[in-house]
Amino acid sequence: MIKVKFWGVRGSIPCPGPKTMKYGGNTACIELRFPEVNRHIIIDAGSGIRDLANFMLVNDLPKGPIVTEIYLSHTHWDHIMGFPFFVPMYIPGTRIKVFGPVTYEDEPLEAVVGGQMKYRYFPVNMGELAGRIEYCRLKEDPEIDLGDGIILSTTIVNHPITALGYRFTFRGAVFCTAYDTEPFRNLFVTDPNDPTYDELIAQEGERVACEQNQVLEHFFTGADLLVHDAQYTRHEYQNGKIGWGHSPIEEAIAAAGRARVKRLALFHHDPERNDDQLDAMTQTYCAPNGEEPMQIFFAREGQEIIL
Amino acid sequence: MSERKTKLEKIRVFVDKMPSLSTTVSKVLEICSRPNTAPNDLNKVISLDPVLTGQVLKLINSAYYSLVNKVTSLTRAIIMLGLNTVKNLALSTAIIRSVGQVKKSKALPIKEFWAHSIGVGVMAKLLAVERGLPLAEREEYFVAGLLHDLGKIPFGDEYAEVLIHARTTREPLIHLEQRVMGIDHEEVGQMIASKWKLNAIITDAICHHHSPLLVIPEHQALVATVALADFYMCLFDIGYAGNRFPDEEQLAPLLEMCGLEWCAVANLAEAVDAEIKKAEIFLQI
Repeated sequence: MIKVKFWGVRGSIPCPGPKTMKYGGNTACIELRFPEVNRHIIIDAGSGIRDLANFMLVNDLPKGPIVTEIYLSHTHWDHIMGFPFFVPMYIPGTRIKVFGPVTYEDEPLEAVVGGQMKYRYFPVNMGELAGRIEYCRLKEDPEIDLGDGIILSTTIVNHPITALGYRFTFRGAVFCTAYDTEPFRNLFVTDPNDPTYDELIAQEGERVACEQNQVLEHFFTGADLLVHDAQYTRHEYQNGKIGWGHSPIEEAIAAAGRARVKRLALFHHDPERNDDQLDAMTQTYCAPNGEEPMQIFFAREGQEIIL
Repeated sequence: MSERKTKLEKIRVFVDKMPSLSTTVSKVLEICSRPNTAPNDLNKVISLDPVLTGQVLKLINSAYYSLVNKVTSLTRAIIMLGLNTVKNLALSTAIIRSVGQVKKSKALPIKEFWAHSIGVGVMAKLLAVERGLPLAEREEYFVAGLLHDLGKIPFGDEYAEVLIHARTTREPLIHLEQRVMGIDHEEVGQMIASKWKLNAIITDAICHHHSPLLVIPEHQALVATVALADFYMCLFDIGYAGNRFPDEEQLAPLLEMCGLEWCAVANLAEAVDAEIKKAEIFLQI
């Protein structure tokens, strides 16, 4: 069994307030619990991790020191901003392993994530933490054995910096993430009238973009739950958001459908999107369809799903 | 023939025998220096050189994947990882490969020499960041720093004596070179820069990093930044290029030309160590 709970579902920046009470205003944070083997995993340390920390202090700490692993999809701010507020790290005995990709030109993961804890940004310095924190850079990898029967595979998704999608498999249950990402596309000149047009490159570009999209679909094929980027509508995407690294909802649904995903959580909601709009979009995009066995919903803060 | 003439002739012969900077590398330099490199241009310019293509793909595979040779085409690399990643890898690879082909210096321990050069390159780039320069201009600082001491390589056996003398007397190296050999590494650097047809600003960094006031105003900030990076590397003994004792009187004017405070420079210590470690990967190709 994998118990999944959403603690933050927003993209870009937290947006608390009366208009986002239903779906929540915290940025990305998802909790996975594996009760049979007593393992705890957190995906992303957006602002939602603060409430998760409070929950763990009340429910987990009395049972013993907190041991958890944090898998970062990437290191953009909305996915790491909650890290300094993850209170267990200030408690002696806590052990945290932080995994994530870093872009080649960047500093190591420890500096990128832990670097938020400098006096210029935050009143506590990394060196003052009581818990033990280890950092480990992740690359694209088809299979990482996490022990206790949990298998992880990672894939590069399409974002302006290196970002990873995660696929956790445990006793037949499959949980997948694919955010922050947008469909791969041909970046090369495709207009034969353009003086820099090169037929071979243009063709290869088309083929590669198509193949990379297939690689990603293959990655989440058959998932019991896929959490997919869905920040924009197709109309919004095509009007100024191409290249920002986020998906149109329509594409996310189509890709998940082709990959025979069982449940699709649309995720990373735009901070400008209020509850009423998300409710209306639920009517448009998530209505049950006789031919469509996939269950589709807009992820909501506090929502729990058991796989 | 006078002694000076003989020495000059030897150096000239050495420079003549140095391999030229390949046309590909010059083109990669040119295309990558543009702020808005087009994907088509980048793909084509790298593809012109199969060895460079191989090295870039090898780096990409080692940097991003645990599967060997997964990314086998530049087109795929650019679509998957983005233009800037591929551009920066290609630029650094091309430059380091070119300088790596240069025949070894007789007097300077080559590994230490390149450690110094890489150090100055990464420091110059970090100082460019500190000065708030846009991303597109920073690579040029790295290249200028990396190449600034090229002129030391052709010196023969007698340079070893100059280096010992510099250590004992603490006299600035460039003065000693002139006094003992009648020519200094900036002049020799000029010969190499002209052979390699390096652009004017990089040439100025090679020829005037000990006297940045002599260059035209538009080049002064870059040349002074390279000089400041050089000062830092010599002062903190990072790598070795013969000059353990930088001219301390230079520091205040250099800081002024760069518009920086010394504490801002000194604060980069950790960052520069990390950057040097990363840059060293290029030397292992």
